[in-house]
Amino acid sequence: METAELQQKLEALEKAFSMAGTINAEIFYWWCTALMITIHAGFLAYEMGASRSKNALASGVKNILAFAFVIPTFFFFGWWIYLAFPTGFTISEAGADGLPWAMKMGPNLTDNATGVFWAAFALFAATTASILSGAVIERIRVSGFVILAVFLGSVVWILGASWGWHPSGWLTTEWGFHDTAAAGCVHMIAGFFTLGVLLNLGPRIGRFGKDGSVTEMPGHNLPMSLIGLMLIIVGFFGFLGGCIIFVNGDQWVTIFNTPATLSAFAFNTLMGCVGGILGCYLTTRDPFWMMSGALVGIISAASGLDMYYPPLAFLIGFVGGCIAPQVNKLLIKLKIDDAVGAVAVHGVGGLWSVIAAGIFIAGYPNVAEGAPPVSFMGQLGSAVVFALLGFIPGWVLSYVLKKLGLLRTSNGAEVAGLDTAEIPARAYPEAYNPPSRPFPAE
Amino acid sequence: MSSPITTWEGAEAYFTFAHSPAAIAIILALSVIVVFFVLYNMAMHENESYRKLD
Repeated sequence: METAELQQKLEALEKAFSMAGTINAEIFYWWCTALMITIHAGFLAYEMGASRSKNALASGVKNILAFAFVIPTFFFFGWWIYLAFPTGFTISEAGADGLPWAMKMGPNLTDNATGVFWAAFALFAATTASILSGAVIERIRVSGFVILAVFLGSVVWILGASWGWHPSGWLTTEWGFHDTAAAGCVHMIAGFFTLGVLLNLGPRIGRFGKDGSVTEMPGHNLPMSLIGLMLIIVGFFGFLGGCIIFVNGDQWVTIFNTPATLSAFAFNTLMGCVGGILGCYLTTRDPFWMMSGALVGIISAASGLDMYYPPLAFLIGFVGGCIAPQVNKLLIKLKIDDAVGAVAVHGVGGLWSVIAAGIFIAGYPNVAEGAPPVSFMGQLGSAVVFALLGFIPGWVLSYVLKKLGLLRTSNGAEVAGLDTAEIPARAYPEAYNPPSRPFPAE
Repeated sequence: MSSPITTWEGAEAYFTFAHSPAAIAIILALSVIVVFFVLYNMAMHENESYRKLD
């Protein structure tokens, strides 16, 4: 065979190999995105079940609308924020590729990557907004909630991601920050943002008595909540798949470009998950907390998901599972009414994850140019940044909404039930469905 | 240090404490203890709950 002919065949093979890799990557992120929709199915079921029957549909509508508003706003400005701000508040030139009129931001035969990456990040954004959603059920106005969800999902968390979940993010290049599965930018920011909102929103009517008593307000369908939480776990596999980068013809890498394997994720996701379940079981015996513990366990192991020895991920998840219910009890003592424990599960679970990585993976080398190795102080400092980046905007924006009368429903609507006030449908129309038993102060 | 590597060049088993059999043994033992302690605690909790109803 002629050398020229061989050369031609080699080039054709290389082209075919490259295209196969490109399409494999596209397919991988396509299905990760589809799996992440399960997270929203889960949040929907979980929050509707955690609501009293008079609020069941209103809670679900909130979830559906959070999804519907976060996706377009993430297209309008979320992706641009991610690409534009890795160095802090200075706008990087790379941001131009994320502007909503950029050639990459639509069908383009020379770019198979942007759409699927944008979609995966858009689902991360919607997940972040959903974390807020459960905590504020039964008394927040839908309009106020949507404004908060858009700000959290399409501005705040993605700014945090640009700083600490980006190959050139300044938290990594300056402090060596490592957080493979976004415990800081997704879970911490959403959890602390939620805490800021809850301080202005206040508790549900009747939740805390003037004499210091606490009235339990159980949801109307705990089994539905449990199924919802299990769906979130299924969706987490899509979320975590979206946290690893497919490299054509080479090893996977994390978002920080350090080598990794999906096998590492598989070991530590499952071990962290069950550690969290056992931690919550041991400390509460409550099935709602056990399934929340599965989330806490995964979140606790998330920062070092690519590096932990699996039994270590199990122990870290177990500790997270023991801590989260206690944090929720503390919030109740402080008269902060988080209806589903989102601050404890996501905010404190994320914080523990970032700190645990500082304890257990300190010394691992980073590959970003000039970046120091992972260190405890780097992780601690980054945790403070994420906590503030979540809490301050959440508190300030909810305070403004409160002053504008856009944050909380009227007392009449809250007592009657938000389904009656807002929803032109009934959750259980064929059942005798009296209003939920009034609570002491109602 | 928990990291068995100082560079990613040529890295193989890179998980935490992969270079320290003693640390691995301790972590593994702790995780086994947790699993069996929760199981023991579960049985004790059941006994106590049933006793209250008898």
